[in-house]
Amino acid sequence: MKKTVPTAAIALAISVALAACGSSGGSSTAADSSGADASPIKIALIPPSTGALAQYGADGVKGWEIAAEEVNAAGGVAGHPVELIKKTTDGQSSTTLQAAREAVTRDGARFIGGVMSSTEAAALNAQLAALGALAFNATAKTIDLVGKQCVANSFHIVQTDLMDINALAATLTTMPGTRWAIQAVDYSTGHTAAEAFTKAAEAAGKEIVLQQFAPLNTTDFGSYITKLQDSGADALFAVEYGADGVAFVKQAAQFGLSTQFKTVLGFNMVSEPLFSVLGDGITGYYNNVGYDVSADNELNKKFVAAYTAKYGEAPYYVPADNYLAAMTLFAGIEKAGSIDPEDVRDALNDLTFDSLVGEVTMRGADHQLLRPSYLGQVVQADGGLAFKILDSAPASETTPTPSPDCKL
Amino acid sequence: MNAAQVLNGIALGSLLMVLSSGLAMIYGLRGVTNFAHGALYMVGAYIGYSVARHLDFWLALVLVPLALAAIGVLLEFVFFRPLQNRSHMEVGLVTFGLALIAERVVVLIWGEKTLSLDPPAGFSGTTSLLGVDYPTYRLGIIAIAIVMAAALIVWLRHTRTGLYIRAASQDIETAGIMGVDVNRISLIVVGLGAALAGLAGALAAPYISVDPSMGDKFLITVLIVVVVGGVGSVGGAMAAGMGLGVIQTVVTVWSPSVSVVVPYAALVVVLLWRPRGLAGRRTA
Repeated sequence: MKKTVPTAAIALAISVALAACGSSGGSSTAADSSGADASPIKIALIPPSTGALAQYGADGVKGWEIAAEEVNAAGGVAGHPVELIKKTTDGQSSTTLQAAREAVTRDGARFIGGVMSSTEAAALNAQLAALGALAFNATAKTIDLVGKQCVANSFHIVQTDLMDINALAATLTTMPGTRWAIQAVDYSTGHTAAEAFTKAAEAAGKEIVLQQFAPLNTTDFGSYITKLQDSGADALFAVEYGADGVAFVKQAAQFGLSTQFKTVLGFNMVSEPLFSVLGDGITGYYNNVGYDVSADNELNKKFVAAYTAKYGEAPYYVPADNYLAAMTLFAGIEKAGSIDPEDVRDALNDLTFDSLVGEVTMRGADHQLLRPSYLGQVVQADGGLAFKILDSAPASETTPTPSPDCKL
Repeated sequence: MNAAQVLNGIALGSLLMVLSSGLAMIYGLRGVTNFAHGALYMVGAYIGYSVARHLDFWLALVLVPLALAAIGVLLEFVFFRPLQNRSHMEVGLVTFGLALIAERVVVLIWGEKTLSLDPPAGFSGTTSLLGVDYPTYRLGIIAIAIVMAAALIVWLRHTRTGLYIRAASQDIETAGIMGVDVNRISLIVVGLGAALAGLAGALAAPYISVDPSMGDKFLITVLIVVVVGGVGSVGGAMAAGMGLGVIQTVVTVWSPSVSVVVPYAALVVVLLWRPRGLAGRRTA
């Protein structure tokens, strides 16, 4: 009996505390809805905070923050202020899903952004209908997300692998080297990219002499590099991200690998935040570029100025694409005149709007945003390394027709 | 399979050898699984990065082990000694918490960005050895690891302090009764173990990329190395570290996706075959 008294007391205290939370939350909602409907647009951001992709996760959030500050300063979207609910994950799908469920059921989020990898995005897609939320994917690039894994509640803002590869494919014939090796990360994006590149290379009359995949979080690339040396390849297509990419590039330099290759073509491997870490050794590397920071339009200039002022460095594709994700959501809310996920979803279908990458259209058939892609080369510029945009390809050239596997 | 792949295996094995010897010493003496060992290695890499960037890489190889030895001494005085009569599981959990704290502190000081360090002058290119051009820096790691391993074994086998360490690792209470100053021995072992983790981190900075999760990536492998080597056996851990490095690299050449499970498979096989690990209860 003595034991049960404190237990009961604690249970009582907890239930009182919970009831207090519940009632205060309830009253504020009631107050909001009694006036003009100014209930907040709650957006959950679920980036990885540890592991190889942590930095990209943090930078993606910055894109959403700039977007939220901008619209909140202007009185919100259709009169609704934007509220960002920041969660974190270790990059495992189970953790990400748990954070998403918590954000939706406990915090009242109706929109989800910042989810990083293709594996997480696919797992989240499967749950979106049950959660009654919309997801805006600005980093996961596998084509399956607008193919067999597509769902009505998910919108694909970033270019798919195939769009990027198609943008590269046109210029592949002009790149020196005929015997290509592929070094890719062993998860869905790496495999999709390798497969698409192989097709493009063979169409351009090139030969693939070696294809190898390293598990994510590989620290020692020595044995992979030795195999690349033994392969007799004279050009390299590399898909390694974050810490893995840094380790691979630095170790390749120690092995003197670059002397072997006439062309090194990276796929989302070399990006602005890694320039200083990777060093001058990457000068001359080619890489697909999803976002042109020097694009000459007012919306882009405004975003670059706001981002640079707040974070002290220019944006690159991860914050820019997340910002574009926010712009897409806001455009949908404006058109729908509602923050109900179903209304926003319907409004977004085939919606065309002006953005920092020019005029874009959310294709209704598979929810892929139609936008241009670029090919860049790393060059020495005044302030260190920079991308020189060599070529740009419009969405009409890069984007495949909607997959028959995608039924919305 | 060529000579370069064998050298790749030996280079990875060298790093595992330095890292696991410190963990094995602490485990042998205190009986505590030091889950913070990966964090000590990571902190070593970050301090090494900063010292090498602002001062000199070779100086980092001296300063980092000293700094980490100081952290080790702190660990001994604040955690291991006051908690020595608590269950080993509890102390293990404390070290696990310390590892998490260390990771956040590193992120606060150095940021989440992956960092990289170029090898010191004269070590950035390749050297021709056994008919292949192999990175000079990796050969340097192999040389330093072998010298360190030999020095550690000689010290453990042929000095009075080494004798005390071996005695205390066999049975800490009996060693205490026989007049060995167990607290002093423990201080030396934990300090040295932390210093070795720091040395491994400083060596790893130009070898692999420096990021806050680098310790986690190695911790499980190193724990397995220590168990496979024979818990508490420094010599066994060194042999197991080198062996695992070579086997893992060879399997990576054959099938990268299978190589991920090599440490776990090795653990199962060795424990079934020799439940006390390769070296049994021998310390050195």
